[in-house]
Amino acid sequence: MDFKKFLNKGREEEQNDLHLEACSLSELEGVPISPVLDDNIGILERMFSDCSDFVIRKFQLKNSVHAIAVFVDGLINTQEVNEALKSLMILEDGSADVSYIESQWLPVSQIDKVKDYKGLLQAVLSGDTGILVEGNDEGLALGIRGAEKRSVNEPEGESVVRGPREGFIENIRTNTSMLRRKLKTPRLKMKSLVVGRESNTNVVVAFLEGIVDPKLVNEVTHRISRIEIDAILESGYLEALIQDNEYSPFPQLMYSERPDTVAAALLEGRVAIFVDGTPMVLLAPTTFWMMMQASEDHYERFQMSTFLRWLRYLFLAISLVTPALYVAVTTYHQQMLPTTLLLSIAAAREAIPFPAIVEVFIMEIAFEALREAGIRLPKTVGQAVSILGALVVGQGAVQAGIVSAPMVIVVSITGIASFTIPHFNAAIAIRLLRFPLMVAAAVLGIYGVLVGLLVIVGHMASLRSFGIPYLSPIAPMSVGDLKDVLVRAPWSKLVYRPGFLGIQNARRIGGDFIAKARRSEEDAEKRESNDD
Amino acid sequence: MIEPGGHQPCPRSIAFCLSIMLFCSVLLTGCWDRREVNDIGFVIAMSIDKEGDGKYRLAVQVPLVSSLGGPSGEGGGTSGDKSFYVDSAVGKTIREAYGILQSRMSRLLYFAHYRVVILGEELARNGLSNPLDIVTRFPEHRLTSFVVITKGKGMDLLSAQPQFERFSGEALRELVKSVTIPVSMKDLAQMANHKGLDPFLPVFEPVQSHPKGKSKEVEAMGVAVFRKDKLIKILSRSDSVGLRWFQRYFNPFSMIVKLNSNEWINTEVLRGETKIRPVIKQGRVHYDIHLKSSIVITENMTTLNFDNENSIDLMEKRVSEEIENKIKIILEHSKATKSDPIGLGMVLARHHPKTWKTTYRDKWRDELPDITYTIHSKVQATNIGQTTNNIMKEDPRE
Repeated sequence: MDFKKFLNKGREEEQNDLHLEACSLSELEGVPISPVLDDNIGILERMFSDCSDFVIRKFQLKNSVHAIAVFVDGLINTQEVNEALKSLMILEDGSADVSYIESQWLPVSQIDKVKDYKGLLQAVLSGDTGILVEGNDEGLALGIRGAEKRSVNEPEGESVVRGPREGFIENIRTNTSMLRRKLKTPRLKMKSLVVGRESNTNVVVAFLEGIVDPKLVNEVTHRISRIEIDAILESGYLEALIQDNEYSPFPQLMYSERPDTVAAALLEGRVAIFVDGTPMVLLAPTTFWMMMQASEDHYERFQMSTFLRWLRYLFLAISLVTPALYVAVTTYHQQMLPTTLLLSIAAAREAIPFPAIVEVFIMEIAFEALREAGIRLPKTVGQAVSILGALVVGQGAVQAGIVSAPMVIVVSITGIASFTIPHFNAAIAIRLLRFPLMVAAAVLGIYGVLVGLLVIVGHMASLRSFGIPYLSPIAPMSVGDLKDVLVRAPWSKLVYRPGFLGIQNARRIGGDFIAKARRSEEDAEKRESNDD
Repeated sequence: MIEPGGHQPCPRSIAFCLSIMLFCSVLLTGCWDRREVNDIGFVIAMSIDKEGDGKYRLAVQVPLVSSLGGPSGEGGGTSGDKSFYVDSAVGKTIREAYGILQSRMSRLLYFAHYRVVILGEELARNGLSNPLDIVTRFPEHRLTSFVVITKGKGMDLLSAQPQFERFSGEALRELVKSVTIPVSMKDLAQMANHKGLDPFLPVFEPVQSHPKGKSKEVEAMGVAVFRKDKLIKILSRSDSVGLRWFQRYFNPFSMIVKLNSNEWINTEVLRGETKIRPVIKQGRVHYDIHLKSSIVITENMTTLNFDNENSIDLMEKRVSEEIENKIKIILEHSKATKSDPIGLGMVLARHHPKTWKTTYRDKWRDELPDITYTIHSKVQATNIGQTTNNIMKEDPRE
């Protein structure tokens, strides 16, 4: 759109004034900044009418040329902006050309030249300070940001015993800097994107050039840039909009708030997606087995990590099928239990008024409610809920003869088992799938449980995350990669990155380094022999 | 010829509808065989007897689950009341008796958990094939449950109330496993069906262990020996131990050995191995039986001092003679009754399969009385079984 047309629209047609007051950033694409400062002031004032936090500061340069500084109150570092303005108004003198000002007058490390309103406003709304000078069709954006942000804390969702204690925060630049500190290499690339008509959320796609499959990066950036939505308030929005299968209960992108986890994923040839305003960083492609691993697995001794992995796999199965199996066995397959155990269960169930399936539903739903209540309530009240839950649902219900004691054991084992899954969103899928399995068990017994499990496994096998089968490297089998899935092999044996991701430069240990070391040794030997 | 593109792909919605219909048909079957554990009477043990008029009496032992100590039953356990009850019914067939039983029982009788089947002596003497037909006709019945014989009525054994276990069925199972040669339903069927092998079953009886006590214990009394499926003789406990040397697994047991007229040694026989070599000489079958046993001295009431090697040799010789003796009892009994609980015919069949088929298989019982045998017994005392000499006696070395 031509600048004059745009202005005329604004001046001559009253209706279009309204439009100017409610237009989004993308519509300002290519609208140039006017050399006439008063025009700019007029546009900005109308555009930001009723915006009490938007400040237009008019001032004169030392050589009496008019200029304005525009910024959002609270997003800037006031002291440093004052310093910058001081040098403009008092200290420096010379030409009023923006390029000259930028290179000679302003002692600010981050300055961008902006040519249109979109660039200017995007910068200002993100916390920069915009400077417009009479007679210039370009503006300056000073990157002196000072918005309030949370300090770096221990990530609460993924705590570890051994490992770094820092977690991402809501500020995307802080987050990318934390990643950069882990991987100090020019190969760490961070592509910047903006998503959301109203939120204009900054999104950064990070990857390691030379390791990642370039097609994967293209696919990720393509899918993100395709998004048309008003706002991205959390990485969950983005996850939902770029995943392969919307209707699956299984998460197809993993999130992490740990810089070390993200760095590890990049080193395996994955792509990280940072979203401004959330500490959760998405990792793609994701396989199911990633969800069963904690970052600590790679820090602890390999025997312990292997043991813990097997424990998690066992408890994954337990959390999925225990209630269903209990229902199936006690209502259809009593012959499968040892006699004495069966008699104990029969004795405990003697006075229970409900069939096993009703009993299990009562308990499971009560347990889920307790868990939900414990998460939502303020921490001080949360404790009361857990005491109430343990007393009322556990002991009280058993003593009143409403549910049987074995059922309480089944439900608590299931609950504990679901907590052993390191990633919360995978645990949610398992929690949900328990219920259809219980119904199948109540209708068809163990046959039903098996059919249900087959359907689940079949679904998982058909899932893909950015083209990578969800169950790889188990299905399709990729034998070499099993040593970081079935077991956690010692680090010296994990020579190659996972092969199923289609990466370049697969060697993780040795390779260049060893070859170089050998060469220099040989050179030294040659030199010695020459000396002789 | 089919034109490309003329073939319409199946629309997704149709596939979806079909799968929903398939799923619904699965649900339509409902829960037809669903049974909650509080609607089931678990049969812990059952007994089958033959009544005087040729009818069968089926008795079942069912635990009273509510008195087993659920959360609502205060105290729990068997304070005063019995924790089970025994009911029986008579019918021309066992299934008829079962029907009568079920018609007065509010819970479904469930046979997948019985630990033992008790057969009355009278029934066993008349043959087991007919009464045990029912066992293989229902998948509920377990072929791994143990079978025992009782003198008199099986029901008396069921109603016994042993002190240690909650049910006599449970007590019987533990005893069968530990003190007798266990025979499961499957073993029994195999023994009855093979030519050259006859079944035997442990015998149990209820005994009043305390004159005034209200409890009745169950006790292993010996072994019942069969010819085909009919019981022919009940051997006493001490007469039947010879059979143990011919089983797959040797169950350790204790044996008393007479040293001379009034001196006794008690031994625990830990292991026994047997090698039988049949030789056919001029149409007669001769068995070379080699026994190897290792024993532990558990009690010494003699003047022998086992620090002395000669005493050990003497003792081992006596034990070995005693074992030979036990084997002889079984063999002689076998010859006398034409029944073969050891499976001598099977041994012959394995060593001389052709001769067995052509000559002996069909007339093995008539051949049995004519067999001859030699027994070579070797005994090794692996453990004298004491840390010091008898502390009540003077040390002979001083």
